[in-house]
Amino acid sequence: MPALAAQTHLPTATNFPNSPASRRRRRIPPSIAVSNNPHFPTLKCHQSSSSQTPQPVQSNPSKPHIKSIVKALALSSSVTLVLKFCSFLGNGDGNFGGGSGGGGGGGGGGDESGGFWRRFFSPAALADEPQTREWDSHGLPANIVVQLNKLSGFKKYKVSDIQFFDRRRKTTVGTEDSFFEMVSLRPGGIYSKAQLQKELENLVTCGMFEKVDLEGKTNADGTLGITISFNESTWQSANRFRCINVGLMKQSKPMEMDADMTDKEKMAYFRSQEREYKRRIDRARPCLLPESVEREVLRMLRDRGKVSARLLQKIRDTVQKWYHDEGYACAQVVNFGNLNTKEVVCEVVEGDITQLVIQFQDKLGNVVEGNTQLPVVRRELPKQLRPGHVFNIEAGKQALRNINSLALFSNIEVNPRPDEKSEGGIIVEIKLKELDQKTAEVSSEWSIVPGRGGRPTLASLQPGGTVTFEHRNIKGLNRSILGTITTSNFFNPQDDLSFKLEYVHPYFDGVYNPRNRTLRVSCFNSRKLSPVFTGGPGADEVPPIWVDRAGVKANITENFTRQSKFTYGLVMEEVITRDESSNICSNGQRTLLGGGISADGPPTTLSGTGTDRMAFLQANITRDNTKFVNGSIVGERNVFQVDQGLGVGSKFPFFNRHQLTLTRFLQLKQVEEGAGKPPPPVLVLHGHYGGCVGDLPSYDAFTLGGPYSVRGYNMGELGAARNILELAAELRVPVKGTHVYAFAEHGNDLGSSKDVKGNPTEVYRRMGHGSSYGAGVKVGLVRVEYAVDNNSGTGALFFRFGERF
Amino acid sequence: MASQVVREWIGINNFAPATQDKLLELLGKLKQENVATLTVLVMGKGGVGKSSTVNSIIGERAVSVSPFQSEVPRPVMVSRSRAGFTLNVIDTPGIIEGGYINDQALEIIKRFLLNKTIDILLYVDRLDAYRVDNLEKQVIRAITESFGKAIWSRALVVLTHAQFSPPDGLPYDEFFSKRSEALLKTVRAGASFSKRDTQVPKIPVVLVENSGRCNKNDKDEKVLPNGTAWIPHLVETITEVVSNGSKSIFVDKKLIEGPNPNQRGKLLIPLILALQYLFVVKPIKQAIISDISNEKRLSWEVDA
Repeated sequence: MPALAAQTHLPTATNFPNSPASRRRRRIPPSIAVSNNPHFPTLKCHQSSSSQTPQPVQSNPSKPHIKSIVKALALSSSVTLVLKFCSFLGNGDGNFGGGSGGGGGGGGGGDESGGFWRRFFSPAALADEPQTREWDSHGLPANIVVQLNKLSGFKKYKVSDIQFFDRRRKTTVGTEDSFFEMVSLRPGGIYSKAQLQKELENLVTCGMFEKVDLEGKTNADGTLGITISFNESTWQSANRFRCINVGLMKQSKPMEMDADMTDKEKMAYFRSQEREYKRRIDRARPCLLPESVEREVLRMLRDRGKVSARLLQKIRDTVQKWYHDEGYACAQVVNFGNLNTKEVVCEVVEGDITQLVIQFQDKLGNVVEGNTQLPVVRRELPKQLRPGHVFNIEAGKQALRNINSLALFSNIEVNPRPDEKSEGGIIVEIKLKELDQKTAEVSSEWSIVPGRGGRPTLASLQPGGTVTFEHRNIKGLNRSILGTITTSNFFNPQDDLSFKLEYVHPYFDGVYNPRNRTLRVSCFNSRKLSPVFTGGPGADEVPPIWVDRAGVKANITENFTRQSKFTYGLVMEEVITRDESSNICSNGQRTLLGGGISADGPPTTLSGTGTDRMAFLQANITRDNTKFVNGSIVGERNVFQVDQGLGVGSKFPFFNRHQLTLTRFLQLKQVEEGAGKPPPPVLVLHGHYGGCVGDLPSYDAFTLGGPYSVRGYNMGELGAARNILELAAELRVPVKGTHVYAFAEHGNDLGSSKDVKGNPTEVYRRMGHGSSYGAGVKVGLVRVEYAVDNNSGTGALFFRFGERF
Repeated sequence: MASQVVREWIGINNFAPATQDKLLELLGKLKQENVATLTVLVMGKGGVGKSSTVNSIIGERAVSVSPFQSEVPRPVMVSRSRAGFTLNVIDTPGIIEGGYINDQALEIIKRFLLNKTIDILLYVDRLDAYRVDNLEKQVIRAITESFGKAIWSRALVVLTHAQFSPPDGLPYDEFFSKRSEALLKTVRAGASFSKRDTQVPKIPVVLVENSGRCNKNDKDEKVLPNGTAWIPHLVETITEVVSNGSKSIFVDKKLIEGPNPNQRGKLLIPLILALQYLFVVKPIKQAIISDISNEKRLSWEVDA
């Protein structure tokens, strides 16, 4: 290449084939100008520790993207997710056959392409086994300087150390200098003469040096010290800086210059080249680089005066650092143009997406036709992954998370690879492995219950368990049918059989419609102990009442955001109330003065028979903009739920039962966000109002007391009322990775206990209102708290799972 | 329980002839006003002499009395008829237990009274108590809550143990008026008659002495320290109250259980639903929309 041409357009060809350095410092961009058929290897994160990885690679952990992928991995729970990213390994001769094999198949990078790999890792690989003494002594007297061409072509030399000598400054350059990274030689490595020559050749052609030499100095122990002496290239000073996006543009191929050209012809030739370059700049699209970075570069240009190779390297690093910090992992500075003018032009390939490919793979990794319809996947992708946008690793991660939340795939890979047809373009490949459509699961347990005389007998062994079946992704549209049956005794399932059958139909408005509504139809039953029939403090034990519900529910959920949604639907259910011995009972029991039990307590049902049937509309709107700030939750959550009776059912129930919950998580101190930073103290304010107008059976009455109502009391210990108001405040202070908290809560029936038929609050001697306060600490998932209830003035220690709010 | 045998009122013969005459005269008067049955409900704290008063009125030992503990775990109705006139006296257990209203006892009384008509309420307390305490208020409030305000226009306050000498030489009449005034005040407060309430009934206060050592006058009638024969006086007052124009209380389910809360506001439900949609659901939806637009976007999400 003619010297002049090289100086006006400096390709930042700081990459070297077969160099561990280029693998290590993956930010060094490839020379697209040189490599006309580059392969972009993909890296799987679990491959980073494969046996093939040599020592030098492992010893340098500066792999920000691998780290971030590990984070993404931690995010997904069950399926293995691999976000492949582009790692532009510079590769001059394009021999990277083993690259993708090594990444994907593990063994693929074996012997066949092993030539490459061996060369790639040879210094380290050989350094790993020095005892075999695979290197040869130089066989020369010690302490003499040997020119490169004087070395023997048959020997393998061991390099003891490498020195850079700057001829202009007449100093030896330290290892921290940016030039050092351009050399793939490493101290302790073993190289042949050919390898050393190749190294030198690369240094010469990279354009950073006007002149560069490599000499050896013999050591007494037979090893060789290498000195690389160089003259750095410099150009005239510039005061303008411009960054252009040359992605998807044809690389300008320098016209071969005839050595026999006259001066005039030469002038004409350079002028035409300059013109062409201007046109290229004009055609180039503006790039994403913000002005702040441009100003920073400009400052660098001004401070230095002369434009040197080092400065260009620094500019390249600055520009690339911005791109990579912003997540534009495929952005590369490919060239500096217009050198020797007032303006430095930085050519960037930002990584424009030219194509988006969605692929399904079977278990063996073969590409197959998937069952899932593509729009289902496509609607989960952020629009930044569509062709025409610049590839951003964050968008890729977002896509990964979104697709993962579909729960349809066992393995998801988002993999950008270079577009071979269009220079600098990126094809985003999404590879998906589908889960089995039909699954069935049986989990069982035996329980030994005491037989006669309290001793467990064989006959009292009870087989219990859960049968689950699921048919996922029906028609490829993510519709599913899910059924579960649970019983504690399969011999007598009628005792406590609980079942659920659910059909989920997402994309209710069509898969192309951006509106995200999901239809759910389910059959269910449940059995719960009624907290309405609970005694107050100190009262005799109140005979329990079980509330069995069975019915059909159909609702539509519209998701506005990940957390905010609106659900509305119809519920038809049958409610049966039973006493301890599973007999249907119509009234609660109560103990009489003399100690007897009478069954004329508050009515359990609306109909008075112990069995109610009713249909009602149910709507629930949830607004939730909470987010995590360093692990503690901040934001607000509002929930409004209303059950509207339709007058259909036993005794024609017509009612409006409503609940409004407001919760605020107030951040009390501004903190810096980031991993490992301490979370802020948070004040939680919570209010809950529940009310009912119209028919109110006792099982639908609002109960006061309990871990989610007023802490420090048992479920329903404070009363059951028609209207309730609960207020709570909690102060959370982070301490050593967890938090301690103090709270105060109050619940009040607003005098509406008497408006529940039979007044169960009064019959079971409950106060109807109560306050509590206390403090606690969170240990993992468990909250340990001490709560004092103000009605009796006594405190107790509680262990609770999960969060109160 | 309701179908108790109505026995002939023989006890009336045990009274002194003068008392008998007076009683028969009063009964005749009631009959003229088409009152053939009179149901008297006796209520009060425990141990004030409710049962003794009942026995005194009937003139026989109809209900067992024990000086130290309640012998009456549940209400008892004593019915006696004389010359086509039936007198029902319902004796109730004391509804105070351990310093609080015994809700269960009250509940039992209410159920016992279901579908009966109460003509007269005798609220019994002792004369020889010096102070009106909180219990009194509770009992009065419980009665009001159970049977409604209206029962107080059919009520008499009966003070037992009337044969007693007031302390510190206080004149008997003065003590009596002070005591009754204090009690009536409590009744008015407990029954939650407000001052503006024009319909505050005037509740008569009657003195009673059930003791066998009760002084008697020359006609062999039991008399009080102030000289009135108390049995005729009591019955006379009852008659007056009966004929004062107020209605007797019929105890039905509605009265016991209060108004059906399930019916209240039912007609407003469509309106409530509309208000909920307009003033709760819509604002929340708006807030969600503003949340979406305010969401902090990462730099890569903003561009393009």
